[in-house]
Parts: sequence; structure tokens; C-alpha cells
Amino acid sequence: MSEGKMAQAGIMILQINHQQKNPAAAAAHDLIETLFTLLEEGHLDQRQLARLRIHLDWIQYRSSFREAVIAVPCGSPHAEETALLDVHVNTRQIVQESLRADILRAVLHATQGHLSPGASAEADGVALEDFCSFRSSIAWEFNRLYWHRLSDWEKATGRGYEQALPGGKSDANHPAAIADGVADFWTLLKDLEKHNQLPPEIFVLEIGVGMGTRAALWLDRFQALDQQRGTNYYPRLKFLLADYSLATLDRSRPALKNHLELCSFVVLDALNPIRTLSFLRHKIMHIHLTNVYDNLPDEEMARRDGRLYLVQVRAYLRTADAARISESFKIPAADLRRSVSRLLDVGPDFHPDRAQGVAFWQEIWKAVRLEERLVPLEELQAGSLPDGLDAARMEEILRDAPSDIRFHLSTGALESLRNTLPLLRPRGYLQVQDIFVTDMNAYRMGFRGPGKLDGSIVNWVNGVLLREVAERAGYDLHFAPFHYRPGSQTSVLYTTQRE
Amino acid sequence: MTLPILPTTVVGSYSMPGWLERLKTDYHARRISRQDLDEIHDTAVKAAIKDQETAGIDIITDGELRRDNMIDYFVERLPGVQFDRSSKKFYYDFYDSEVLGKLPSGPLGLTDDFLFLRANTDRETKICITGPHSLSKRIRNKHYPSEEAFAMDLARVMNQELKELAKAGARRIQIDEPYLSGYPEDLSWEVNALNALVDGVDAKIGVHICYGNRYGKPSWEGSYRYLFPRILDAKVQQVTLEFARRGGEDLDLLREFAAPLEVGVGVIDVKTQAVETPEVVAERIRKALEFLPKERVFVLPDCGCFHLARPVAFAKLQAMVEGTKIVRKELGN
Repeated sequence: MSEGKMAQAGIMILQINHQQKNPAAAAAHDLIETLFTLLEEGHLDQRQLARLRIHLDWIQYRSSFREAVIAVPCGSPHAEETALLDVHVNTRQIVQESLRADILRAVLHATQGHLSPGASAEADGVALEDFCSFRSSIAWEFNRLYWHRLSDWEKATGRGYEQALPGGKSDANHPAAIADGVADFWTLLKDLEKHNQLPPEIFVLEIGVGMGTRAALWLDRFQALDQQRGTNYYPRLKFLLADYSLATLDRSRPALKNHLELCSFVVLDALNPIRTLSFLRHKIMHIHLTNVYDNLPDEEMARRDGRLYLVQVRAYLRTADAARISESFKIPAADLRRSVSRLLDVGPDFHPDRAQGVAFWQEIWKAVRLEERLVPLEELQAGSLPDGLDAARMEEILRDAPSDIRFHLSTGALESLRNTLPLLRPRGYLQVQDIFVTDMNAYRMGFRGPGKLDGSIVNWVNGVLLREVAERAGYDLHFAPFHYRPGSQTSVLYTTQRE
Repeated sequence: MTLPILPTTVVGSYSMPGWLERLKTDYHARRISRQDLDEIHDTAVKAAIKDQETAGIDIITDGELRRDNMIDYFVERLPGVQFDRSSKKFYYDFYDSEVLGKLPSGPLGLTDDFLFLRANTDRETKICITGPHSLSKRIRNKHYPSEEAFAMDLARVMNQELKELAKAGARRIQIDEPYLSGYPEDLSWEVNALNALVDGVDAKIGVHICYGNRYGKPSWEGSYRYLFPRILDAKVQQVTLEFARRGGEDLDLLREFAAPLEVGVGVIDVKTQAVETPEVVAERIRKALEFLPKERVFVLPDCGCFHLARPVAFAKLQAMVEGTKIVRKELGN
């Protein structure tokens, strides 16, 4: 860049987020050149440029809700201020030839008033909802639909959902990890027995059961260990398999065929396990979840120039995608929003031909994007935070966090944790295998979701906030990297009773 | 002061308001002064007294709202105990504390708490202290040859304070020993420590033993069977036990061992925010009366109401009083 251009740059902030394979730096030069060309040509003015924050992200998900370039306006309570603009460039997705057009489109769209409340995105696409917090977005209704109608989805794609996971299978089923987990559990039971505190019925709960593979492996291993050591704990087990999808529970039964006499299959909402299992308050010895928290409704917050913002989103289809889908399924473009709404209400049967309904669902999901805006929060109030997260403590966390940061509130995960811990028996423990951010600084280092994984949402989970909520509920949280599969990004959260 | 049959009381702590939690934490972060905090505590204690009176409780406490938790209030006052003020990030956390030499004797300042309570109510009062066993489990012992020796010396120091309390007019003193259920093997020496603690104290002494209430959840599980018969050697007049959450389990032990003690029967589950109805309370009392003579039954929650939201705590106490009235009426009182 020439010195003249540098002088013109003002206070534009460029943030290069590293994430594993990192081509972001290579893209930075092209990006800056493009921005200054746009400035010289008068497409951008100096004031706008000075209020840009450019984030170069390498996005780990092949499929996400983002365009190659998006511009996110930060609303200001002061009308006279030029709004800050966060420009996110997906370095995995950008094409040099279209970079200029992508930037121009994103910035102009964000600055020319299309995104004011109540405005329609139709100038650039078809809006499928109004702006709302991410948690309230229809994106999560797609996620719910996926788990409820999983077999329809899998039938259409011809592959099981676990095949969509990195590595093609779930880390939850790793035999060595299960063997270690069972050994730890057995040791706990032995110690309780020594202190005359072993209950006559030993409750174990798994939430999010998949195909039942992990539960079956766990029970096989426990039974074998119990027999080998002659402790006779196995017959005292009451193993609860819980999922919010009856279809998933039914699919898990065959895997448990050797242990059915001690298994119960329970439909429950992972956000609120104690609502269903209140009769087991303080009774469950061990609770396990794998890849559940990353799939629970979430919200994001951001801090820019010392001010806090809530990230709002609006689902939309690009004009070209909307036209293609409209033509393929013979649905007028004007009716697309209504058809999506029907799909989410009743599932693929909304279409007279179910196969067509599933195809429509998959096409919409593939095409759906989220437009974003940042809405200022005047102050941190209880209502803007998940239950259990104290505003004063949140302020302390933010005091120690990077000054400019965008992070997950992990609302659903926090809610789930808070509503799961009261089920634990004294000395019982919770184990959660998932993708966690355990240091707020990590949010500066890379994009952490949301992404699309097959027909569902995947999102990193804010372990810092989980730790806070757990502490107030009487538990310390610990995060151990999942070392059984090299390259795994998952960690294992486990609780210990707080003194 | 004459008490009715089946007197109602509380175990000790009352609901800790969120605003008081924040102010206590502010104090630890040096954002408010000790003087301000003392005034805040006085106000909060008066409110807790008023709530208990309004709910109709017969024997009331100060709600223990001056205390960060059941350990640190004593850690701060026990001469010779070292603690690190910076070791808490939240007021409810425990201090990192230790004892490095023989404990000197000295006042703990509980008499002031008692006098404040008595000055603000006409009801019968009770003052609660944490017992030597529980304190010995939390304060790191770097001097005494054993936990038992440490607990015995704690009892010696605290005995002086109990005598001062009695001298100041305290008629009912409750010793809280929730850690005992986690370490039942300690019971034998704990009874010796209890007896040293109450030796020569001219007041009615009760001992409260539950399964823990840290963060509003039980810390241990098991059966009270471990208490018997050894607990009968303790020179106390009353035991208060946790029965509501545990469905009345172990009530039969009181008959089996013909315990001659008064029994504080827990009829309110403090580990759930769900409020019992008076009918449920009445049923729990009736069940206790199957095993105990009515003259020896006191009615109270399982443990302190510390973790309950204030409206919940108040509603639970009201239900407890109403439920007790139902049974009193059935008994012709």
C-alpha cells in the first residue's frame, strides 16, 4: 500500500483471525487494495472507511449462514454518529475476481438503509423472517425439524447423520474413551460403597442418544468390568436414554437390545431436563451429553468501542437462489416465505409429494443465509442475559475480556446446564463432550460458528460462561481435551462438587 | 415465655437477597466500607426478623444474614486462625484458612448479634453457631496432631463464647454440624467435642445435623443410623434433623433407640423452590408423631432457607406455621 493510501486509511481496523489452515493474511492485501480503489472511485467515503472493522475469518464449516463478504451495521443511539460497520470476509469462500463486487454490495447494502427495522431484504433477496435475536430465528426451527424428521432427511441424502461429522463418526463412541469413563464411574461407586453411601438404585442419564451406540458400548463395558471385579453393580443400574425426538429414541433401541431390562427411553427437552425428571432431583449419579450443547439455541453479543450490542439476524434467500427454488418447485417467489413457514410447521408433508417436500426443505436449508445487525444494549440487565448468569459477574468477565469482542452467550447450553445440575446426586457428576471456547480471548482468534452440519446447526459453546453458571450452582467445571482422536476439536467438560 | 405444643422455629439462615449478595461481594472487592456493610446487615436482619414474625414462627433467629457462609463468619473471629482475604471472588466462597499454632482464647462477638436480635423482637429467640467438627473440616490444621485435637481446642475456645451468650440471656443455642453426615466415622470424637463445647453453658442446647445445604443441594447421602446410639451421649437437649426431603426416612430410628431428646423435625424441603402446602406439612408432622411424643417435637425446615428466594422462603415458613396449626387443632390445642 502506498503512503498516501496509508494516510487515508484513518482508523479502519483490520482483524485477521487465525484458525488452523490460515489463508487470511494472503487475502488481506487484495482486500485493502480493493477498499482503497473503492475509496478513490468515490464508492466509499472517508468517514465510512474510518468506521470499518474488517474481520478476515477462515470459517471452518464448509457450509454456513454467511456470504463471502457481509457487512454488519452497529446501530447507534446517537443519530448524528456514522454507524460502525463490521465487515466479515470469509477467506475460505472469497474469489478474487468477485471480491470488489462482493465488498461493494455488502457495504452499500448495509449503509443504504435496507437494514432499518421493518425494512425488507427483498432488494437483495427474499426475507424469511423479521430481524430477531438469533435464538428466535427460524434457523433453529430448521434445526428442530432436522432432528424430528431425521429419517426423511437421511433417506433423501442416502447417508446417516453421523457420517456428516468430522471423521465420519462420533467421538462419543470411541472405545478407549468409554472404557476410561466406565472405569472412573466404577471407582466412584466403589468408594461410595466403602462409605456406605451407595444407593440401592444407581441412575445414569444420557441426553442426546444418537443411534444408541455410545450407551450400548458404555453398558457393555460396565457389565464386563462389574463381572470381572465381582461387584454386582450392573443389576442396580437404571439407565435413562433421553432425547427430544421420539424418532431418535426408537432408532436407538436396537443397539440396546442386550440391556433393555435396565433402560428407560425418555422424551425430554435438553434445555430443561429437570422439568421431565424432577422426581430424580439429587438422584442421578452420572449424566452424559455429547454434541448436544453445540446444537442448542444461542445468541451472540458484541462489544465495539466499549458499547455492548446484541446480534440480531434475519434469515433470507439470495435472489438467484429464491428464483431457482421457485422455479424448481413451482412455487411463486412471493409465496416462498409462506411455504417455508408451512414446512417448519408441519414438516415435508406440507407438500402433497413428501419427497418433493424433503427436496424443498434441503434446498431451502442449503440456500438460507443470515443477515446481521448489531443492536445496542443500554446496560446489562437480567433480561438480556441467560438465567443463572449474574449481570455483575458478566461485567467482571467483560472487564477481563478483549475490548472488541463478539462472543456466544450460549443461552441454550447455559439453560440446559442450569436445569441439569439439580439432578445430580451428591458426588454425582456431569460429563459433556463438545466444542468449547474456554477463554474469551479465543473469540478474537477465529470464527466460532454458527455453521451448518448436514441439516442441523453447529456452534461453539462458551465455556467461560458455563463455568460461571456452574459455580453459582455449586460445581466447578473442568475442560479436558479429547485426546483419543488426534486432531479432534472436542473437549470433555466434567463437574466436581464445589466446596 | 410459654411456647405452644409443636413449637415452630427455623434452623438458622433466612433467604439471602440478591442485592445483599452483591453488596457483600462489593465489600470484598473493597467497593463499599465495613461501616456501610454493617448498616446494611442491621437493616437486612431486621427485615428477616419481621418476616419470621409475620409468618408466625415461635422461636426466631437473626437469619444469619451477617454471615457470608456458615464457616467464614467464625474463621474471621476465631483468634489464631489465619485466612487470606483475597481468596474469595464471590462472597459465598470459603476463605482459604489455616491454623498454625495453638488457638488463643478470645471473644467471637456473637453476643452482639444476640443482643441485636433480642432488641428487635419480643419472640423467643435462638442463636446458631457452627460446631467444632464442621470448622475443623474447613480450616486447614497445621498445628494439632489430629483433627480431633483441633476440634477439641476449638470447643474450648468457643465454650467461653457460649457462656458469654448464656450470660447475656441466650436461652436457646443451636450447634450446626452438617459435615458430620459426610464423615460419620468422626462421630465418636465429635460427641466429646460437643460435650466440651457446651460444658457449663446455662442454656438449652440443640444440635443440627443434616446432609449439607451448600449451594442449596445435599453434599452427602446416607442414613442417620450412624448417629445412634453414640449421639445419645451428647449433653444436648435437642437434635434437629432433615426429614422432609428424605421422605421421613429414619424417623423410626428415634423410636428404635428411645431417644429421650427433643427432636426438631424437618418438615420443609429447603432444596427445592416448590412451596409445600399446609396439608403436606401437617402430614409430615403426623408421621413424626407416630414415632415421637408430641411434647418433644419441634417443627422446622430441613435446614437454613439461605438459598431460597425470599418470597419462597416466606411462603414456606407460612405453610409450615399453618400446617402446624392443623395438627395442633387435631391434638386439641
